[in-house]
Amino acid sequence: MDQAERELLAETLRKTMTAASGRALDSALADLGWAELLAELPDVAVPLTFRLLGETGAHAPLLNDVLLRAAGRPPGGTTALPYTGGAWVRWERDDRESTALDGDLPLRILPTGDPLTDPALAAGRRALGWWLLGTGRAMLALARTHVLDRTQFGRPLSSFQAVRHRLAETLVDLEGAEATLLAAEDGLGSLLAKAAAGRAALTAARHCQQVLGGIGFTAEHGLHRHVRRTLVLDGLLGSARELTREVGALLRESGTAPRLIQL
Amino acid sequence: MSSTHMNVADFRSGLRTWLDRNDLSPGPDHSLDGQVAQLARVRRALFDAGWMRYGWPPDVQGLGGPAVLRAVLGEEVAERGLAEPGIYSMVEVLVPTLISYAPPALARTMVPRLLSGREQWCQGFSEPGSGSDLASLTTRAVPREGGTSHSSGAESGGDWVITGQKVWTSLAQYAARCVLLTRTGPGHGGITAFFVDMDTPGITVRPLRTMHGVDEFAEVFLDDVVVPADRMLGRPGDGWQLAMDLLPHERSTCFWHRIAHLFTRLDRLLDETGDPDDDALGAAYLALHTARARSHATQRRLAEGAVLGPETSVDKVLLATAEQRLFDTARDLLPGVLELTDSPWREEYLYSRAATIYGGTAEIQRNIIARRLLGLGKD
Repeated sequence: MDQAERELLAETLRKTMTAASGRALDSALADLGWAELLAELPDVAVPLTFRLLGETGAHAPLLNDVLLRAAGRPPGGTTALPYTGGAWVRWERDDRESTALDGDLPLRILPTGDPLTDPALAAGRRALGWWLLGTGRAMLALARTHVLDRTQFGRPLSSFQAVRHRLAETLVDLEGAEATLLAAEDGLGSLLAKAAAGRAALTAARHCQQVLGGIGFTAEHGLHRHVRRTLVLDGLLGSARELTREVGALLRESGTAPRLIQL
Repeated sequence: MSSTHMNVADFRSGLRTWLDRNDLSPGPDHSLDGQVAQLARVRRALFDAGWMRYGWPPDVQGLGGPAVLRAVLGEEVAERGLAEPGIYSMVEVLVPTLISYAPPALARTMVPRLLSGREQWCQGFSEPGSGSDLASLTTRAVPREGGTSHSSGAESGGDWVITGQKVWTSLAQYAARCVLLTRTGPGHGGITAFFVDMDTPGITVRPLRTMHGVDEFAEVFLDDVVVPADRMLGRPGDGWQLAMDLLPHERSTCFWHRIAHLFTRLDRLLDETGDPDDDALGAAYLALHTARARSHATQRRLAEGAVLGPETSVDKVLLATAEQRLFDTARDLLPGVLELTDSPWREEYLYSRAATIYGGTAEIQRNIIARRLLGLGKD
């Protein structure tokens, strides 16, 4: 797939995600050939699709397909997903009521589940990492617009260094997380990328919420949807905190810090 | 091996084999004198064997090939602890400056002296009154009296006379030459660079005592120092651009060397700590891995011909943050070690406090990110 084709695909996906979410988006993406794209070009399909879910704020139960594919099973079903704290959830493929903090996501708590295979876990973590990254970028875009538009003390908020530095710090974390996602190949790389993306999205949520001030705390402003999504996605397949601890334990056992990325 | 066929994998494996057979490990002298002598020894051996010449153009006795070969070499040097990475990496900013701005004959003569370890050089940028605001520097260069005219001093081939003071000049007390920024006119366009012999009359060097106990930095006093016009780097007024052109070099190859060094320190911490604080160890590793991933992407872009710009401020913040986190973690997980014993952790911990200050403070980086990458306008 060349650059022009990739851009066309991104544009199509973005339009589709802007028009529909949930089950309707799941159907629309199926019509667009999501299953074939995932089967034939997973390295293009997953980063692009999941990042755009984050950027547009849409959602669809595509994580199931990524995990099913990694397990050698056909897409379209669901699979039990480990959640932080030893819980299990199922991401349903219909628009049902949910008790999740992000009530738009049709997550159902399960009593237990079958552990995922290592390749499935790695693929799922990369996909969620891209989603969290996109969500972080969406929050940064909202905050950027706000600080350029809003005036206090006779100056735009964007002229205050404290505000500028919060947004700069957000961009640093997001860019760092993107680099880990681009470099993620094996299980450990994918774990680190999910941890970095979760951490970056949480940083974005904190800084963007702060610079958006009162308006960002209202339900009429879009920020809260992204904040909710960040908090819920962070816990799927291991939170940034859990994964960081896991990698710490691994380092202590092996006695050395793996150099995963080589020139 | 011909440079046109030299790829990273061949270079690395050949280098490793050579380093396995040629032990360049440092001796017991860990003083600054000892470190500088060791650096010269390592450079000379690597130059004579050819490794130090890869990634540099034939014009300066290089063997050609991509710059990434220099990153690979520096990584091996850091991983094996052969030379202190900060002073080892200085060639990465000094040599490109000479190649880009010195008269070709000067670069051809001088650069091999640095690469081969026969000389150390320094970089006279910061001044007592010009830290973050480098462009406010006031060290003056004026055409020497008796030239044809003031305005045509450089063109006429006359000498220049330099007066002022520099500070934070790494290795000035060991240096044979200095890339020196001076003021020849107002504003950013009034900064002019010279390549000055450090034994020129009128130059006084006084090492600074620093918090971490290594006198690596110095003050340099310049009192009517006469420099020939053919030692000007570029043309009058090119100095600011020269300083800006350094950044891509510092923030690609040098950063990779430093990150490699920090990984060896995390290994050392894992070896020495008995504290099973997996959260802290994991967070230190994640920050380092993130800096490495970003640096890798930056070098790949450079290799593809991209011109590096303000986005390298992201690399700088990631690296400085990771470095401080690592040494904070070492202090936490080796309780009492650096406070009560004369451990190598003490010096490195203290030095890491400067990571968010040197090379452009973390605040300056965030200003650049806000203005240039986020488009937030002037502050």
